[in-house]
Amino acid sequence: MALLLRSMARPGFHASRSQFGVLYRHAVPMGTTAKEEMNKFWDKNNRLNRPMSPHITIYRWSIPMVMSITFRGTGVGLSGGISLFAVAAMVLPGNYPQYLDLIHSLSFGPQFLAFTKFALAFPVSYHTLNGIRHLMWDVGKGFQIPDVYRSGYVVMALSVLTSIGLACL
Amino acid sequence: MASFVRLSSVCHRGVKPLFARNTFLPRELLACRTLREKDCIQSSVQIHASSSSSHSAAGSKAASMHWTGERMVSVLLLSMAPAAYLYPGPAVDYAVAAALTLHGHWGIGQVLTDYVHGEAKIKLANASLYTLSMVTFAGLCYFNYKDVGICKAIAMLWSI
Repeated sequence: MALLLRSMARPGFHASRSQFGVLYRHAVPMGTTAKEEMNKFWDKNNRLNRPMSPHITIYRWSIPMVMSITFRGTGVGLSGGISLFAVAAMVLPGNYPQYLDLIHSLSFGPQFLAFTKFALAFPVSYHTLNGIRHLMWDVGKGFQIPDVYRSGYVVMALSVLTSIGLACL
Repeated sequence: MASFVRLSSVCHRGVKPLFARNTFLPRELLACRTLREKDCIQSSVQIHASSSSSHSAAGSKAASMHWTGERMVSVLLLSMAPAAYLYPGPAVDYAVAAALTLHGHWGIGQVLTDYVHGEAKIKLANASLYTLSMVTFAGLCYFNYKDVGICKAIAMLWSI
């Protein structure tokens, strides 16, 4: 995925070209085994002191790139949140309804609650919807660059709308 | 085919085939190359199917099955959202706990393969990830068993 995004950022990339052609063009010529090629690649990276891959600092930002890193960020964030919740369930005294009562007793305003719900719902809806976008790519659909942008805009709009809807519940 | 033999050696580049997610791109490259040679168009799913069925490279097959497994868990997780809404209860609670943990485990694993380099660091990272995932699963199951359960917890939180 990172490679696809990187090749998209290059000016030489044209939508008319097939994805296979582009991926093939950027592929390392495989004269030896893939393992040797990979080792060579890492050796060169170390020798030239190249930044780590996927690079996030050396390319001009594009929308698919931002969406990709946000997808990963929301994934890691949600995963961390779930782990934290699981540990808290085992470690903290009392039970879940008691903690909800505690939140109740603080009597937050409706705006604050709606905002908090939005902040919780957005990473979930974005990760879910962009996950569907990824599954579409996995079955080989939507690889043309205009399609990548279009599906990206659809995912962004839908995740904001879904989150607003969920926050209003 | 030669490319598939090479492919299998890529798959051993992680700690074990289970951790060979970073082979996704190389596999795509190789598969696409083979595709070009064959001069036919297939979807990536079919590429995976063909690479696992017609060639005997075991590592490649394991990586391909792992790839398919990841997508299956993702689709399963998607289907659990309406299930949790319509039929909240212990069955969905434990299914969500398992699918969520596995999805997170594989997802974080991909991030680790991308950013953690060096034999010792990879081993340490993977061991930590296994520990984290097991603790997470245990915690979620504990919550399902002792407390209100995941489905009800979300419903209660949202009704504040």
